[in-house]
Amino acid sequence: MNSRNPEFTPVDESLFNRVLLTLDIAVLERSEDGSAFHLRGLPPKWWRLCFGLAEATTLDSNRCSPFLREYLMNPHPVWENKTGEIERSGPWTESKEQGGTMTLEATALSVGSKNLLLIERLGSHFEHMRDIVQRARERMLTEDITTKSYRKTQTRLIGQLEVSERTKDDALALLQHLGITALVLDERGHVTFVSDRALEMLGLGSNDVVGQKLERVLPFQEQDRQLVQHLLDGSSRTGSGGPFRLDRARPQWVEVEIHRDPLHPDRRIMVLHDRTEIHALRQALNEQASFHDLVGKSPAMLRVYQLVRDVAQVDTTVLIEGETGTGKELIARAIHSCSGRKHKPFIAANCAGLTDSILTSQLFGHKRGSFTGAVNDQQGLFEAAEGGTLFLDEIGDIPPPVQTALLRVLQEKEITRLGEARPRKVDVRVVAATHHNLSEDVVRGSFRADLLYRIRIARVQLPPLRERREDIPLLAHSFLSQLCTATGKTVDDLSPDTLRLLMSHAWPGNVRELKSAIEFAVISCKGRDILPTDLPPEIAAMPVAPSPSTWIPLSGQDEKSKLLAALSDAKGNRTEAAKRLGVSRATFYRRLVELNIHPR
Amino acid sequence: MMQKKVCMLGGFAVGKTSLVRRFVSNVFSDHYHTTIGVTVEKKSVKVDDRDVMLVLWDIYGEDEFQRVRESYLRGSAGYILVMDGTRKATLDTALALQQTAARTIGAVPFVSIINKADVRSEWEIDERVIEQLRERGWPVLFGSAKLGQGVEELFALLATQMVSAPSFPRD
Repeated sequence: MNSRNPEFTPVDESLFNRVLLTLDIAVLERSEDGSAFHLRGLPPKWWRLCFGLAEATTLDSNRCSPFLREYLMNPHPVWENKTGEIERSGPWTESKEQGGTMTLEATALSVGSKNLLLIERLGSHFEHMRDIVQRARERMLTEDITTKSYRKTQTRLIGQLEVSERTKDDALALLQHLGITALVLDERGHVTFVSDRALEMLGLGSNDVVGQKLERVLPFQEQDRQLVQHLLDGSSRTGSGGPFRLDRARPQWVEVEIHRDPLHPDRRIMVLHDRTEIHALRQALNEQASFHDLVGKSPAMLRVYQLVRDVAQVDTTVLIEGETGTGKELIARAIHSCSGRKHKPFIAANCAGLTDSILTSQLFGHKRGSFTGAVNDQQGLFEAAEGGTLFLDEIGDIPPPVQTALLRVLQEKEITRLGEARPRKVDVRVVAATHHNLSEDVVRGSFRADLLYRIRIARVQLPPLRERREDIPLLAHSFLSQLCTATGKTVDDLSPDTLRLLMSHAWPGNVRELKSAIEFAVISCKGRDILPTDLPPEIAAMPVAPSPSTWIPLSGQDEKSKLLAALSDAKGNRTEAAKRLGVSRATFYRRLVELNIHPR
Repeated sequence: MMQKKVCMLGGFAVGKTSLVRRFVSNVFSDHYHTTIGVTVEKKSVKVDDRDVMLVLWDIYGEDEFQRVRESYLRGSAGYILVMDGTRKATLDTALALQQTAARTIGAVPFVSIINKADVRSEWEIDERVIEQLRERGWPVLFGSAKLGQGVEELFALLATQMVSAPSFPRD
């Protein structure tokens, strides 16, 4: 609280004071020794609140805040060097004497020879600037929290992902170690996972499999594809089927197990079992013992199988010769199945015992009204077998008029329905069969020679069962297995005595008779094995193990001698003689006629 | 009475003002109010039965908007470095400020405090880093202005160090 500075004499004091009041600034002049600061002009209204000083007094540094006091004490180049620049203190908060605070800022400057100190109360402009900084920092803090939350979530998810990946890797390693051939399918049937073993089995790379539709990965045949799809669509938790054939360059056979994904019921786990080797072995075994539905591995039957394969490769008519019950229709079916017509119809017709008009109508069809009872147009068997195979059994019994019509069909490849004049083109392979000797029928005039030559382009002769006795056990066991499956009866085997009886029997009815005998025995059997007493009486009553020489060759002088010997042994009783030879009475009679034997 | 100028240094929003207010007035506000410039508070403490007036310069937090003026540090007998345990970046700011302070006012006593111990589970500054700070010779305290934890100890420790520190002229 000192006296006015005598050196300060503003030109217009009232103007100077108005400027100061307008700017709300206090102006102080620093003494030359720097020890005092004197107010110049009128101080602003707030001055008194902080410093309690009267107008035109000297600033008491003891009443200043520590900040201002330190600022005043510190050296300032602008005062020392008189550079003409200004130097700001930066804001500080000053307490009011009555309480509360205000924010001030000091500025040191030099004007001429005078060192001045301006003290300004920071007002709305400063508050605005403070708000901006406040908002900016709050935003940074918010972003920091958001980033942290994001990182925390990211860390948690990465952790979960790592655990999940580790679990998946462990499961995968286990799966690969177990060598399971497995695929996982999504709800659309696309492969989402494939095991190494499956890739190895399929000979494919992962990229060829993952993401692909199942049918592209596993090219099943149409029928198998439907079965697999049925398994996939199944509501049960697991299902299995097969073996199914995979149509690949090297065909594979697989059994399929379908499991529902326990976590995702719409997804499926497919486990494959490669059965190619087993199938090949089984097929090789079957080919040795059977061919299609034919059973037998005797040299005679193996020759027949090969003949059937050869005949199937060409599209000519075939004549199958053999005694009744030897399986002529099975041979016809095998030829059809091995041929290029296998996907077309196979129609079998028995020509025996039918009148020529009925047979003609059956074979070639008829027009409505062409005969009594022909109430509709009817296609014949030739038309029904279009593209496929027509099997004409007992062709030797066809009446002459039908033979003529049949010859025309074979030559012209067209048929004319009964009652029609317009011929129709047909593409049918004819396979005929007979137990007759058609050559003799030709000689006798009961069969057309030109038709014989037309149907006998290829021929298959089926041996009677007595000429392939080594197949009897195989056949007997095969029929036993079939019958047990069909009837549900449990019969394990045939006793050795039973087998010896079966081997000794002549089987005039051939395989058909054998099958009937086994069927009879299965019904009769009370134990686990078929005993001789279970067999039909005509077989069971026979003496065991007659010599194989009792069966008769088809031709030659020896046959004639054996027939005569048998007649002699049977004291002229032809039925007994036939029985002793193991042939039917009818065959015995026929052979007597053929060999010109006239017993008394 | 002996007076000691103490600067509160640290990044923005670490809790410098909150620590001073808790120490001086024993109040705390959850609301963040940024400091622009400098606020000076005073409080006396006893060190070995001697009254020591701490003149606490609560200096604005350093960030890209405001750099701490070295002139504010001059005359300080000690300083407090404040960090926010939940923001690792405030450790870097504290390291930089400590270097500035050492360059400006020399090897005066200082104490560091990691604030916001009330949310310890959210801390980004881990034990390994704290150990490294201690290996550098930093006294490191944990505290919470919100709960008042470690506040008295902070200022008491610094006061003790300042009183026992050798006194020599500073620029």
